[in-house]
Amino acid sequence: MGVAALTAVATACAPPPPQAASTSGEAISRDNCGIDVAVGGPPERVYAAYQPGIEIAHALGITDRLVGTAFLDAQVLPEYVDQQASVEYVPSLPSREALLETKPDFVLSGFNGFFAEQSADSSVGTRASLRELGVQSWILSPLCPSEDGLTDRSIDPATVTVESIFRDLRDLGALFEVEDTAETVITDMRRRIGDVEKRVSGAERPSVAIVSPNDDGSYGVASGIDFGSHIIERAGGTNAFADLSDKRNVDIGAEELVERDPDVILTDACCNADMTRRDAQSEVDAILRDPALADVTAVADRAVHPFLFADRSAGVRAAHSIELVASILHPNRVD
Amino acid sequence: MTEGGSSTVAEAQRILTEPAVGARRPSTVARSVSVVAVLVVACGLSLVVGSYPIPLSDVLSAIVSPGTGAVDTIVRHVRIPRTISGLLAGSALGVAGAVMQGLTRNPLAGPGILGINAGASLAVVTAIALGVTTAGGYLWFAFAGAGAAALLVYVLGSLGRGGATPVKLALAGAALSAMVGSMTTVVTLLDAATLDQYRFWAVGSLTRSGADAAAAVGPFLAIGFVLAVAVGGSLNTLALGEDVARSLGTRLVVVRVFAASSVLLLAGAATVIAGPVAFVGLAVPHIARILAGPDYRWIMPLSALLGPALLLLADVAGRLLVQPEQLQVGIVTGLAGGPFFLYLVRRRKVAQL
Repeated sequence: MGVAALTAVATACAPPPPQAASTSGEAISRDNCGIDVAVGGPPERVYAAYQPGIEIAHALGITDRLVGTAFLDAQVLPEYVDQQASVEYVPSLPSREALLETKPDFVLSGFNGFFAEQSADSSVGTRASLRELGVQSWILSPLCPSEDGLTDRSIDPATVTVESIFRDLRDLGALFEVEDTAETVITDMRRRIGDVEKRVSGAERPSVAIVSPNDDGSYGVASGIDFGSHIIERAGGTNAFADLSDKRNVDIGAEELVERDPDVILTDACCNADMTRRDAQSEVDAILRDPALADVTAVADRAVHPFLFADRSAGVRAAHSIELVASILHPNRVD
Repeated sequence: MTEGGSSTVAEAQRILTEPAVGARRPSTVARSVSVVAVLVVACGLSLVVGSYPIPLSDVLSAIVSPGTGAVDTIVRHVRIPRTISGLLAGSALGVAGAVMQGLTRNPLAGPGILGINAGASLAVVTAIALGVTTAGGYLWFAFAGAGAAALLVYVLGSLGRGGATPVKLALAGAALSAMVGSMTTVVTLLDAATLDQYRFWAVGSLTRSGADAAAAVGPFLAIGFVLAVAVGGSLNTLALGEDVARSLGTRLVVVRVFAASSVLLLAGAATVIAGPVAFVGLAVPHIARILAGPDYRWIMPLSALLGPALLLLADVAGRLLVQPEQLQVGIVTGLAGGPFFLYLVRRRKVAQL
């Protein structure tokens, strides 16, 4: 807490970033998921929801502008732990009222369900309804719904890429007038991902499944349109369920997993703000323990690795996740 | 049906004194044999159909002489447990439904109507929230929840004039189900992790439990079946109305306690094995009644055969409909059971219990 308080004080007292000099109420707009997001100067009160939304805010250095954060799937990346400790956090998504009570001028969401009309996650209303109140909003574009108010079922697979994250960083950098920070983040991610790709190129590509044991004996897996598939590809593997493209998360029976026979299994543990990879061990054990999976290559080779749902989220975590998966798939090439 | 009169009493005495099997019309026997055949086919399909393609001959050799390899593993650890779960849960639900309908003389009765499913579900969600993860752990929570719900409904239903009439019991059950259901929602909404798991608990599935759960609930199922058989004859007289039943020497309190315990054990065990499965307990006794007439000594064993046949066929359909995903059996029975039950209601005057 001491550190958190210090960070809060330090960030609060830090001199304004150089770009803030141009805060002349200059109107600027960027397109996000087909919605024109226009601000008359950098937003000052930002509410960030979901892992990717919260982490991108810290990465852009706008931690001191966060009036609230909600719904982490896991602990934030180590480099943001102190920043996260300095902001308000609630484990569940806020209601519309609770959100508006924080008087946000910008809502940054890592997932589309937040603004959906008919979804278990819906809670604050559509982006159009927030804009009427003067609140601008942003969905990280790898999860753009085809229309405001829709969910996950309508994402365009072509946008589920690292490039989309870079574009988001650049656009948000412009809106928040932190372009230099955004460019630094992009350059760093590009360098790290490029380095991994260089090391794994030409290597044999094992088949990988991101698997989570469900309570009824079935298994949830990440499909071909999930960002996890992208992470696996970049890390030098192939998603064993790449051909499934109806939705991001698919529930299958044990038989289907035996049939696909992945070489490597990554778990998919979720969802609380303290969760670390250590907590995914219970999923590893559950998968290794299921007698039906005994003949799956990954299980027979004990190649079942702890991995978090947060690790396959489309955000600034991507570089870190690609490095991690590459170190699992190609330990001789990446460490 | 329920009014007295000498002809009804004579009919009752005939049913009571008539041997259960020997004197039935041959067609009933033939129908029972075909029900057995349907069950055998359902078991066969359940062993052969799945997303991992295995020819029938390989399935048979995996059963007869278990070896190693993916085929044998799947047959032994996926198909057989799934089929056994269907057999146990299906027969338990079928018999529980039959006893329930006989006991309450309510054609729309099922384990659901006395709040038993709702009580078991709330208890299981609470168990998940408390961190219980094994079938053995759920078991006691499910029984405790089912029992508490049944007891509460009985106390509520017994208040006021006239004691525990079927209608009052059903009303108390509906009210309690609503209340307990919203408490379940509260528990799940308070904890995202529980909610995520409950997503799978709220829908019945035959892939949930393995041999340990079957072994754990086995004794309870056996007692439940014995109790159901024991009250079969009494349910026949009860169908003529409580006054007639009493005048024929039926000890109503004993019958009620036996029957309610039987339903509790059977429905609780089925919930532990498969979670909540809709419509099987409701529809199966009606099909049995169409095939064998109103004698509960026939309805019970037929329900015990028809329940698993229906459940396994629904499960097989669930494996085929949305490949490579699978529909949980509770979804299939819910989808198919509704229209099917409406058809039954339209086709037969089911109210004539």
